[in-house]
Amino acid sequence: MVMTDAPRKWVLVSGVSRGLGLGLARDLLAQGYGVAGCSTTFGDDLQALKAVHGDWFFWQDVDMADAAAIEAFVLAAVKAFEGHRLWGVVNNAGMSVEGILSTLPVSDIEKVLQVNLTGAICLARSALRQMMKTRKPGRIINISSITGLRGYTGLTAYAASKAGMDGFSRALSREVGRVGITVNSVAPGYMKTQLSEGLDDKQLDQIVRRTPLGRLCELADIVHLVRFLLSEEAGFITGQTLVVDGGLTS
Amino acid sequence: MTALDLIREELTQILTYKGAAAGDIRADTPLLNGPLDIDSLDLATLVVMLEEKTGLTPFAEGFVLFHTAGELAVLFGDGHD
Repeated sequence: MVMTDAPRKWVLVSGVSRGLGLGLARDLLAQGYGVAGCSTTFGDDLQALKAVHGDWFFWQDVDMADAAAIEAFVLAAVKAFEGHRLWGVVNNAGMSVEGILSTLPVSDIEKVLQVNLTGAICLARSALRQMMKTRKPGRIINISSITGLRGYTGLTAYAASKAGMDGFSRALSREVGRVGITVNSVAPGYMKTQLSEGLDDKQLDQIVRRTPLGRLCELADIVHLVRFLLSEEAGFITGQTLVVDGGLTS
Repeated sequence: MTALDLIREELTQILTYKGAAAGDIRADTPLLNGPLDIDSLDLATLVVMLEEKTGLTPFAEGFVLFHTAGELAVLFGDGHD
C-alpha cells in the first residue's frame, strides 16, 4: 500500500461492521486518523467507507476469539500503515447472550468472555508490542458497559466481561503510564443498537424513565467521548471508567 | 551478531531514550535491581525487540526465569550451536 500524504496517526478499532464500531470508524476517518478496523462481516457501510477513504481505511476479517488472528491483523495493519504512527486502540467488538445463568450453555459463556474480554486484551497486547518500539505516547480505549457497574438480570456473562474490561483498563494504565500511553474504559448506558435488542420496549421505556437526562444513550454521545480521549488534550486521563448514561447509575 | 550483542544494542537504545547511561553491559550484569536504570516495562520492551529481531519466542509457553543479560542471551540463542 502506498500512502504519500503527510504522516498520520492511525487507530485500531475492533467490531467496525455496525453500530458503535461503524460510527467510531466513520468519525475517526473524518477526523483525519487512519483506521484499521476488523469485524467478521464487510457490508455496504464498510464498502462505502472504503470508497471514500481508500487506503486510510484498512479492514480485515477477524474472529475476536482467535488470538492468532488478532495478532496477524495488527501486523497486517502495521504493514499497511507503514510510515504512519500507531496512535491508539479502541476495543469495541462485543457480543451478548441473554438468559438466566443457570440455563445458559457453558459454550455461550465461554464465547462471550473470549470475544469481549480475552479478545480485547489480546488486541491491546498486540498493539502495545508495536507501540512500545516507538516509546511514544498513545491511547487505549476499552468500550465496556454500565452492566459491568450495575447488575441487570439476564446479562451475567456479558456483565462479567465488561467489568473485566474495566479492571483491565485500570491495571494496564499503571503498566504503561510511564511512556505516556493512557488506558481508559468508556461505559455507555443503554443504547438502541443490536446489543440491546434483547430488551423489549417496556424495558427500554423503564430505563428512560429512570434516567435523569430522560433518554437512551446515543451513538454520538460515545463517539464524541472517544474522540476526546484519543486527543492530545486527554493525555492526563488514565485508568478511569467514564460512564456515559445520562445519570442512570448516579 | 550474538544475542548478547543484540541485548547490548537494544538496552543502549532504551537507556539513551531515557537519558540514562548504558555503561558496560556484560553477561553477568543483572537486568533489574542492578547498575542499569531500567524497570520492568523497559525489560518488556527489550524482550519484544529481541523476539522481533531473532524470530525466537522463548516465553511463548510461559515465563522462564532469568536475571542477567547473559541468561537472557541464552534464551535468545547464545550457546545453542
